[in-house]
Amino acid sequence: MAEKSKTSIPFWRDIRKLNVLIQIVFVILVIIAGFVLVNNMQTSLDQLGKTFGFEFFQDQSSFAIPPESLEFDRTDPYWYAIVVGLVNTVKVALIGIILATILGTFMGIARLSSNWLISKIAEIYVEIIRNIPLLVQLIFWYFAVFVNLPDARFSIEFFGVFLSNRGLFLPWAFPSETFSIWAIYLGVALIIAIIAYIYRRNQLKRAERPGFPGFTAMGVFMVLAAMTWFFTGPAPLNLEFPVFGRFNFDGGIVLSTEFSALLFGLVIYTGAFISELVRAGIQAVAKGQVEAAKALGLKGSKVLQLVVLPQALRVIVPPLTSQYLNLTKNSSLAVAIGYFDVTRVANTTINQTGHGLEVIIILMACYLTLSLLISMVMNAYNRRIKLVER
Amino acid sequence: MAKAEKSDEGIIVCREVNKWFGDFHVLRGISVTVQKGEVIVICGPSGSGKSTFIRTINRLEEHQKGDIIVDGIELSNDLRNIDAIRSEVGMVFQQFNLFPHLTVKDNVTLAPIWVRKQRKSEAEALAMQLLERVGIPEQAEKYPGQLSGGQQQRVAIARALAMQPKIMLFDEPTSALDPEMIKEVLDVMKELAETGMTMLVVTHEMGFAREVADRIIFFDYGQLVEENTPENFFNNPEHDRTKLFLSQILH
Amino acid sequence: MKRILIVAFAVLLMVPGLLSSAQGGDTLAAVQARGVLNCGVNGQLPGFSGLESDGSFTGFDVDYCHAVAAAVLGDGDAVEFFPLTAPQRFDVLASGEIDLLIRNTTYTVSRDTDLGNNFAPPTFYDGQGFMVRADSGIGSVADLDGASICVGTGTTTELNLADTFAARGINFEPVVFETTDETFAAYDAGRCDAVTTDLSGLASRRTTLGNPSDHNILSEAISKEPLGPVVRHGDDNWYDIVKWTVYATFFAEEAGITSGNVGSFDRSDPEVDRFLGEISTKFGLDAGAFAAAIGAVGNYGEIYDRNVGPLGIAREGGLNASFQNGGLLYAPPFR
Repeated sequence: MAEKSKTSIPFWRDIRKLNVLIQIVFVILVIIAGFVLVNNMQTSLDQLGKTFGFEFFQDQSSFAIPPESLEFDRTDPYWYAIVVGLVNTVKVALIGIILATILGTFMGIARLSSNWLISKIAEIYVEIIRNIPLLVQLIFWYFAVFVNLPDARFSIEFFGVFLSNRGLFLPWAFPSETFSIWAIYLGVALIIAIIAYIYRRNQLKRAERPGFPGFTAMGVFMVLAAMTWFFTGPAPLNLEFPVFGRFNFDGGIVLSTEFSALLFGLVIYTGAFISELVRAGIQAVAKGQVEAAKALGLKGSKVLQLVVLPQALRVIVPPLTSQYLNLTKNSSLAVAIGYFDVTRVANTTINQTGHGLEVIIILMACYLTLSLLISMVMNAYNRRIKLVER
Repeated sequence: MAKAEKSDEGIIVCREVNKWFGDFHVLRGISVTVQKGEVIVICGPSGSGKSTFIRTINRLEEHQKGDIIVDGIELSNDLRNIDAIRSEVGMVFQQFNLFPHLTVKDNVTLAPIWVRKQRKSEAEALAMQLLERVGIPEQAEKYPGQLSGGQQQRVAIARALAMQPKIMLFDEPTSALDPEMIKEVLDVMKELAETGMTMLVVTHEMGFAREVADRIIFFDYGQLVEENTPENFFNNPEHDRTKLFLSQILH
Repeated sequence: MKRILIVAFAVLLMVPGLLSSAQGGDTLAAVQARGVLNCGVNGQLPGFSGLESDGSFTGFDVDYCHAVAAAVLGDGDAVEFFPLTAPQRFDVLASGEIDLLIRNTTYTVSRDTDLGNNFAPPTFYDGQGFMVRADSGIGSVADLDGASICVGTGTTTELNLADTFAARGINFEPVVFETTDETFAAYDAGRCDAVTTDLSGLASRRTTLGNPSDHNILSEAISKEPLGPVVRHGDDNWYDIVKWTVYATFFAEEAGITSGNVGSFDRSDPEVDRFLGEISTKFGLDAGAFAAAIGAVGNYGEIYDRNVGPLGIAREGGLNASFQNGGLLYAPPFR
């Protein structure tokens, strides 16, 4: 009897067989659930007399989107509206990620400062911002602050920049007729700059000094660009200042109130979380590391640059990735303050067409793609800075 | 043991050094003069202030009263003086404190390149020379995490030596090592002492102290209790507290 | 393990039942079983559907909810109100969460077809207008060239604005919000030079602004906005009930029946007799259901005067007058 049980365990007691069985049962359940859901969806759509399909994306949209990045006309199709929304989302997310990282790093270091006032200010900032829901903050920034800035007629002006409740108006350089000639010069200058970069890099290599050949190249490019500017004759770029028109400013470029408020809210909010990551990352670097670096005679800034930050980054980067993802996804709260991100465009499209399911599928695909892209970049970076252990 | 010529000034002069951690008076009026080429072993019970004392010499700890003069430079709040002294004084820590994100070679060349402004090839040649001296040239391309404790501590010694310091401070360099690795580190230190390096060593390795030290300093309760030659220190200690300490660690 | 599997299967088998029951065909039976009518309204539009300080809703649209509840349940107060944003409204209706949508909703082809709705006769004929600050110097739509205009999303106004201004070659910056409150808050704060919605909506919201007399409503209307109750596709009887309850308010006004006299009204006219009596049984309702509706909220004129009158929107000579007075309101025969 004992020998028999050794050779053939009944399957409901055999761990290996049970594991396989559980997997099979699970797959079957998932398939059944999927089938039921699709079937149910079809029934519901039939009941409502709706059809499922993506053809309507070709239809004319008929609504207006304020110009934030791409121009949009009411005669453009729905799919292009989604593209415009996506570009607007990418715009606010990308700029937001950069600014939030800068703010977070600054605040994280400030929090560790030995200066009582600076570290206290950083602490209060983090504690207040982290503990208020982002939606509430966005509504506050938009309706209580940005919309309550002075009217366009009474804008706050500094160096040709106008700030009002209509947005931030900045001077901007637009190309003139001679721009194409200058562009050729710029091309040549770029090639020379690349040559300068390679030369300087080799020179540094031969001299075996650390340095930044990129700076040399940039300098060369800028000097050449400035010199050829005068050869071109009439200025290839015209600086345009915002001028007050009937209701608003014309000329220059504008960051709309909605964009500014959303960007501001996202940066302030995410910056608080990033500052905590930076603080934790720096604190995770053992005290002995700083002492060893100091004992070798490295100055404070070099200790930070060569020893502390490279080690802190490996602690910071993985959670930082999820903060970047959060910021991107949180930008969908734009719907509350009138910025035309992809969610807002999707909502409007659903409302005007009734094709909720299709639009939501596209919307989810948009965010999934963005998130996967960010994760990919950050994971690649993380692999690069990972420590080698035994 | 070959002694370098002694000047009356001394390469390290400490006069009435006092330090407090909050209310805790950790160094109570320490006065020591170290001559060039001398090897001083500092011992004492834990918490006696011996580690704190050598850490004040390169300003990892600030002293509040008294003077410390290293190689003619007074240690004050002047950043330039602190930087100058730190590049003259090498230090080896109990926990090695190698930079885990850099290879062994990069650990050793980091300071010569960024502080001494040496060429990379120059710094690397020196690094290889030093790694050979501490007996691990084959580990140059590895990362600290891939080495044993003894190997790491030898890299740490090489890293400190790469700055070509006049003085080396050792803060319990063998305390974190497995017993079988202690000897390889002590051997490197012995070899270093023979070249005439000025060394201050905080350690419990009494064998090392007896064999290598020129003088032994005994700390207790933040005070310098006894300063003596190894022979007298072990065979004929002057103070009761020294006797008590020795009876506790020697059997 | 076995027990878990059985439970999992049971749940799966129930899922389609749970999900599809919401869209079940017989709304009347569902409402009567529930004992309460679920009615979707705006909730941010005083005079049409406004939230009172005690948490109750009042207004023109709200009264039509009460009328239907009275006809269907015999109790005009058996209504639960669902305040909805413009983008939400059709999804909430389609999902079955509400039985009826009366939220100043414009009757259009695409909403009737693509969105799968049925529109009852318009209860309010409106047009899209603009409100501007009195000191802005804007006197007509043409003056709005280059202006920022606040507008609610998911509305016909959003589309009309783009269409009309493109056709007239007027440039504008749309500033678009989800809710009526947000739209007008942004306008009030000065984010926009003008705000646009139906004229009735503008009149309604002007009363909520800091200083109503600082704002002018331009007299021009740029569109036709027939507003009325909406039900979802797929339940013809329910659609008929809502449709004829609306007509009942028209008919009562034509016949002179009011909430005050409905109980004692002279039934010698055969149509009046049918109207007040058995005709409602054709919809599966109790006899006298329409009399109950009129008893609850009164005829069209009463509803209008009570709710829209105070906003200062005149009825005489407009589209919302009875056909007898040159308006568009006209009840088909109750026969």
